[in-house]
Amino acid sequence: MTTAITAPFAPTDLDNTGDELLREPVLVTGPATYQAVTDQVCRVTEAPRAPRAWYVAMAISLALLLLFGVLITYAIFTGVGVWGNNSPSFWGFPIINFVFWVGIAHAGTFISAILLLFRQKWRTGINRFAEATTVFAVVCAGIFPAIHVGRPWLAYWLLPYPNIMGDWPNFFSPLLWDACAVGTYATVSILFWYTGMVPDLATLRDRATGRIKPAVYGLLSLGWRGSARQWHLYERANIILAVLATALVLGVSSTVSTDMAVSQIPAWHETIFPPYFTAGAIYSGFAIVLALAIPARELFGLKDLITKRHLDNLAKLALLLGSMVLYIYLIEFVIAWYSGDPYERFAYLNYEFGPYWWLGWGILFCNGVVAQAFWFKFARQTWWIAWPIAVLCVMGMWMERFVIIIVSMHRSFLPSSWHMFVPTWIDIGTLAGSFGLFFTLFLLFCRYCPMVAVSEVKAILPQAQTRDALANGRH
Amino acid sequence: MAMSQNIISPVAGAAEPTPYGLLAEFPDPQALLRAAAAIRQAGYRRWDCYSPFPIHGLDRAMRLKRSVLPWFVFGGAFTGCFAALAVAWFCNAYAYPLIFSGKPYWGLPANIPVAFPLTILFGAVTTFLALWALAGLPRLHHPLFFSARFRRATTDGFFVTIEATDPCYDLAATTQLLRRLGAQAVEVVKDC
Repeated sequence: MTTAITAPFAPTDLDNTGDELLREPVLVTGPATYQAVTDQVCRVTEAPRAPRAWYVAMAISLALLLLFGVLITYAIFTGVGVWGNNSPSFWGFPIINFVFWVGIAHAGTFISAILLLFRQKWRTGINRFAEATTVFAVVCAGIFPAIHVGRPWLAYWLLPYPNIMGDWPNFFSPLLWDACAVGTYATVSILFWYTGMVPDLATLRDRATGRIKPAVYGLLSLGWRGSARQWHLYERANIILAVLATALVLGVSSTVSTDMAVSQIPAWHETIFPPYFTAGAIYSGFAIVLALAIPARELFGLKDLITKRHLDNLAKLALLLGSMVLYIYLIEFVIAWYSGDPYERFAYLNYEFGPYWWLGWGILFCNGVVAQAFWFKFARQTWWIAWPIAVLCVMGMWMERFVIIIVSMHRSFLPSSWHMFVPTWIDIGTLAGSFGLFFTLFLLFCRYCPMVAVSEVKAILPQAQTRDALANGRH
Repeated sequence: MAMSQNIISPVAGAAEPTPYGLLAEFPDPQALLRAAAAIRQAGYRRWDCYSPFPIHGLDRAMRLKRSVLPWFVFGGAFTGCFAALAVAWFCNAYAYPLIFSGKPYWGLPANIPVAFPLTILFGAVTTFLALWALAGLPRLHHPLFFSARFRRATTDGFFVTIEATDPCYDLAATTQLLRRLGAQAVEVVKDC
């Protein structure tokens, strides 16, 4: 793709996926000087014009975002009857989309928090980027419960606040747990993301020309100077935020799963739900990070920072999580059979042989089978294989949320209350529109924010290592 | 910082303003590390190092004290946990007790799903606020931003500053020390 940005700068895109004993893998292919790393990231935001593909993608995203706004406004003014929600499928698309988007968010936190604690140096190339997907996915997720309540102007009733309506919060209710978990997740991921970005915003500030850019980046970078005292505090704060965010990665989807697990519905009332939701969430997150990284490194000429090794590692992690998801799918069938409970057994037979059988097999195929291709190096490293697999994984995870939320509910205990769920075009349009919101935010981020954590990448360059660090085994 | 003490009268013809201090550039992190150890041993107090990324071992070379930040975080996280449990207990067990699905009014496990995220929320917000407060940020300006050279501190520059208010500061002697430690360039930074 020849673009305004990539033209003067030809990434080497070397293959750095091999492992050599006793040698650290090369994580920055191409010129690995401080200046070159800075240039590669900053010129994306400094170029007077974005690549043409960016404008095309932005136009599509904005169109979908407009659709999202119009359909939500229509639903609010007309009532939630415009959706396919019915009795017994009260939750419908909004809650499917909510659980889906919360899940998508998880990979960013996993990469920047858990991999930081495990000292995985390769995370520095993609953590910023992945954290951005976290923040934007949580934004998308947060909208759905708010519109699902039907009267979004009263959505604050979810929160326990003193009121004169004699309305007391029920702290045993998973809906309140959800509000706490997702609200916390949104706040903490924004704080973590922004804190990580401050030194890089300072880099942009110091390189900026003109009148507006230095002022804007100057305000956003809070006057960061990169002094040893500041770095000392900053690193401690980053580790602490990582520890807190790690707890959240494991906690948020677990809490979301209690919306279902705490109820009595067959195939919902299961103790496996918290790890099940969390594994699926991180899995879908890796898939979307992979699906976004492949075009973004190409489009913005970042192949030397988001290298083949990064894609390879992401695919391996997607394989690991995908295998966990497959294991949980299979163990759920075993548990249903072993429980001897006729309703539980029926629920799982209904997954695969009921009216939504194609979704039941679809999730086994997309999440269970397709990701197994990543066992092969060829599949991990060929973009035209890895990218469709990642997209199928994301689709599979959305279908999984559909199966859990709709298919369990539409045929529970009493056949007299069975009812099919059929989404309306407004449901489908709102789902598509939420992708518009996500991609609009993501494209703006790519254009105006440092897409790779420049200071963190510099810190892992060979020339940045001091003897002190080597002597103490610290990196 | 020393700004408040050094504000120069804007009257025309006033004496040469007191500088902020000396800014010295070093070629690489290793040189910065060696210089930091030497400057500390020379007895300087009001000085700092600047780099585009955190350099490990620098805080030890400078003998920086361990930050008190974790204690703030602990306080915040504890407050969040306690507040969540207290509100839950007050609402559901004390002020307006209701039986939900035949369970006791109060039970710790049932309240963990609220106490856990609130612990994290308060801890993280405290970390964020305490980080910037302790780092002396945000601020709109700093004397170092007068230096064109210092703009490279966020790209590939490794700097040491020694403030003019330091008791050991002496323009000639300090410059000489910095040169001897391998500084590529030494310049005086004005204060306003």
